Amino acid sequence: MSGSATTGDAHALRDPGIPHATLDREADYLHAEHTLRSWFFTTDHKRIAILYLASITAFFVIGAVTAGLVRLALVVPDGQVFTNDTYNKLFTIHGVVMVWFFLIPSIPATFGNFLIPLMIGARDLAFPKLNLASWYVFMTGAFFTLVSVVLGGVDTGWTFYTPLSTAFSNTWVVPALIGVTVVGFSSILTGLNFVVTIHTMRAPGMTWFRLPIFVWTHYATSLIFLLATPVITLALVLLILERAFHIGVFDPAYGGDPVLFQHLFWFYSHPAVYIMVLPGMGVISEIVPAFARKKLFGYKFVAYAAIGLASVTFFVWGHHMFVNGQSDLASLAFSVLSFAVAVPSAVKVYNWTATIHKGSLRLDTPMLYAMGYIGLFVLGGLTGLYLATLAINQHVHATYFVVAHFHYIMVGGTVLAFLGGLHFWWPKFTGRMYVESWGRISAFLIFIGFNVTFFPQFILGYLGMPRRYHVYPPEFQFLNILSSAGSTILAVGYIFPMVYLVYSIWFGKRAPANPWDARGLEWTVASPPPAHNFLTEPKAPEIPYDYPIQASETQRHHS
Amino acid sequence: MSAPGTSEVGVRLAGHFATVEQQRRAAVLGMWAWLLTELLLFAGLFLTVLVLRLLHPEAVQEAARHLKFWIGATNTVVLIASSLTMSGAIQLSRLGWQRGMVRCMLATAALGTLFLALKGYEYHADYEEHLMPFLGDRPYALDRLPASRLFINLYYAATGLHALHLFTGIAILLVLTRQASRPGFLAAHQNRIEIYGLYWHFIDLIWIMAFPVLYVLNR
Amino acid sequence: MTTSDLALQLWPPAASATAVETDWLILAFTVLTLLLTVPVFLAIAWFAIRYREGVRADRSSSGLRSMPIEISWMLIPFLLTLIFFAWGARLFFISKSPPADAMVVEAIGRQWMWKFQHPTGQSEINDLHIPVGQAIRVRMTSQDVIHALYFPVLRMQMAVLPDRTTEMWFKADRTGTYRMYCSEYCGTDHSRMDGRLVIMTQAEYAAWLQDAGAQQGGQAGAGRAVYEAYGCGNCHDPGARVRAPSLAGLYGRPVALADGRTITADETYLRRKILNPNRDKLAGGDRQVMPAFQGVIANDDLDRLVAYIKATGPRAQQEDRR
Repeated sequence: MSGSATTGDAHALRDPGIPHATLDREADYLHAEHTLRSWFFTTDHKRIAILYLASITAFFVIGAVTAGLVRLALVVPDGQVFTNDTYNKLFTIHGVVMVWFFLIPSIPATFGNFLIPLMIGARDLAFPKLNLASWYVFMTGAFFTLVSVVLGGVDTGWTFYTPLSTAFSNTWVVPALIGVTVVGFSSILTGLNFVVTIHTMRAPGMTWFRLPIFVWTHYATSLIFLLATPVITLALVLLILERAFHIGVFDPAYGGDPVLFQHLFWFYSHPAVYIMVLPGMGVISEIVPAFARKKLFGYKFVAYAAIGLASVTFFVWGHHMFVNGQSDLASLAFSVLSFAVAVPSAVKVYNWTATIHKGSLRLDTPMLYAMGYIGLFVLGGLTGLYLATLAINQHVHATYFVVAHFHYIMVGGTVLAFLGGLHFWWPKFTGRMYVESWGRISAFLIFIGFNVTFFPQFILGYLGMPRRYHVYPPEFQFLNILSSAGSTILAVGYIFPMVYLVYSIWFGKRAPANPWDARGLEWTVASPPPAHNFLTEPKAPEIPYDYPIQASETQRHHS
Repeated sequence: MSAPGTSEVGVRLAGHFATVEQQRRAAVLGMWAWLLTELLLFAGLFLTVLVLRLLHPEAVQEAARHLKFWIGATNTVVLIASSLTMSGAIQLSRLGWQRGMVRCMLATAALGTLFLALKGYEYHADYEEHLMPFLGDRPYALDRLPASRLFINLYYAATGLHALHLFTGIAILLVLTRQASRPGFLAAHQNRIEIYGLYWHFIDLIWIMAFPVLYVLNR
Repeated sequence: MTTSDLALQLWPPAASATAVETDWLILAFTVLTLLLTVPVFLAIAWFAIRYREGVRADRSSSGLRSMPIEISWMLIPFLLTLIFFAWGARLFFISKSPPADAMVVEAIGRQWMWKFQHPTGQSEINDLHIPVGQAIRVRMTSQDVIHALYFPVLRMQMAVLPDRTTEMWFKADRTGTYRMYCSEYCGTDHSRMDGRLVIMTQAEYAAWLQDAGAQQGGQAGAGRAVYEAYGCGNCHDPGARVRAPSLAGLYGRPVALADGRTITADETYLRRKILNPNRDKLAGGDRQVMPAFQGVIANDDLDRLVAYIKATGPRAQQEDRR
């Protein structure tokens, strides 16, 4: 920017829209205005977060019901519950909805939206209108996807592999593809907003190494949003063109290459796993120190590990294609790079464990979820290494082993972190406390239900049961029944929080500003926060996670 | 106050920013982040074209020979000229020369429209020469080389996507020009010109990549 | 199915040296996994009890420096797991280098059946019979979407791509009948695109080749797979939207033609009608919409299809396709 332009600063004018004199007696964001218009045209990041929370909860219900129907179908081996087509549509809807309409926006669009400005001491995200636009874009994408479901569904699987999706499927592929393409733009806008906000909107004194890990992981996630999402946009647009105009890029009949689609698809969809996982790690990194009353162990390592994961994840997409006809040398390279993902992942897990060491633990609901998360994430992550091992992949690729692995990461990881975070920040979001005992019961139910559902699937996979099988050999029935039984426990565990959390909105105890005695700027404002976040200039803490019990390195530093 | 014929230059602070400097940095970074995303979108497309060339060199070369090289080359010059006028608009906006700035912006929009007109003529010529393989009911001139249709189709996808960006760009530019011709605009929103300039240069840059990848490299 | 229908199976059978080594690989990896994770889980549980709020415990700094700890828990697990990367890669490359004397079996996948062609010319549908102790090289291609050929007993699978040939090789060392699947999702009947891998002694295999048809439960059984794979049922099954003539009991019955002749639906008629439906139009004035299969269906598959139509007796109805 040239010198002549910056002279304009002297002429800066205050936007007359916000009367600053009234800031010291401001209503909280929930009660600032009450009209529907004030919700659907809000530019307040907190209200937009609530809009997202309501939307993704609805999609979670759709995804969960289809999952339940899939598990119901698999109770019997001969596929008598549904037709094959119905079954295929069910798992496709489950995958599409859960991946793009729940998991990817789950933590960033709700908690990230709500908390990042509060955590860094800003009044809002950098581009509030863009933030609202991203929600409308999201809902537009959702509309197209729901249209495809209502018209009769899609049966390609969420991976949309060509040429099945282009030349052979007779279902509503194009509306579903449009939906997913559009929703990608919503991710891009959210990521863009976060990157700019974290770079430019931090309060005075809030240096990078005073930021909560939650902000670090969202920064890393946003980079993936920006760098990976356009590639899937392109892949899906080419797929739409292929289906509508037979342009032939993925069609072997014209010399196109169906495997090229897989490369483009996984170039996004592998990093997308970290879009789902990284924000969850951020949530856990907030909960663990708060309930251990201890500074996060190895703060800088955990922060760098987030960036490390976001970087490495761009170089491992080929591990989805070891047996799909890619060159053996490429497979070798992708295999060893995938092992490298273990390094930053291990950093996270061991540092959380070390944080608990010699802490003063409160085993409240968020902490129970966090501990469950660590266990399930470790299992999911290490079975990922099994899959990255070429010879093992040759056997268990595309079997239930893979299904179990990614559910350990996505449900055991993201969903548990989401629920942990939801309980942790619920008082901040709503100004109400939920009933703790119900929270603990549901955390246990979900942990047990999850493991009963998905652990048998590791065994099924090793025995050789392929995924996406409606009809399966009878010798697999026992384990499938076990898995389906577990899913009913899981379902009960999901229903509980929906009931008692909603109940608490009206009947819960009023929450103080900082019910957990936690650190972080979001706890310095009232619950729920005022409409413009900070009534006085926020003051960045000198040390992040300044809990009573200090980890060894700062202990010595201060003595 | 300002010199005669010029207006005040500055940026009005929006409510949620702490300082004007912060607001400026946010806007610039936001546009760069968006362009980064766009770059990856086009990069994926160009990469697909290059993969295609590796898979089917003869068909791609034969197909590329049928592209209108001189229209593409002229369009490259047109877009570079439009970037020049856009740079002029930015420079004049910093100086507060509002009238000159608006003229430069109109010139930019005109050059962009010229590009689209030439592109449209090129598409028309392609149509006449039966080079639209995606039209199922129309014969295709290079039917003996099946892989050539992939390249031609991708050429339409890439140039079409670029034209869509340019079209959107011209539309935004015209709206912005209308706003920018009002008195007091430069005092409140000078940085919009700068931000928009980034986008325009980017569209230019994409064409400067597309031209060699599609027209030149395969000849 | 002769595969044992055990109520609960916890470890799959292995029928090649590679499969056995893959099992050792995963078992050893699991031991390492347990070594890396069990301490973490135990530590979390122990800390949760030992350092619970209100419990008196030593919470003073342990004096450990974080840098050496961080470096060690970053690198030690990574280096240990790299052993398994190397082992897995070695095994993978062995399975990519077929010996020169391997017997070549051609495989074709299509929605939704497998067809295997033996080097001696015999072909079979949805079953693969192979001799034990002989290196087998399967060369695969697909006629429509992407499939994948998966033999759990050999711990091996490979994608089957349209217009491209992929390969896998193995040497079975145990006789028996095992499962075979399509493991890449390929549309409606993906889960029915399975079959049997029959590993036989050399002598049994030679005998089977002599009498390849009879071993499959007659041509008709395989013909049913052909019937489904070529989508015949979409029009000819009872209840299909296009009300094409039912094929059940057609064989041997008289058929009235549009030109007034009546001929018997014998084998020649069935063949001709499949290859070129426009000849010998049927009486009744319905529009003839069936596509010609001349040049589309292979001769041996046509034999199977005709055998299947012949076998559907006068009262036989197509069982409900799911």
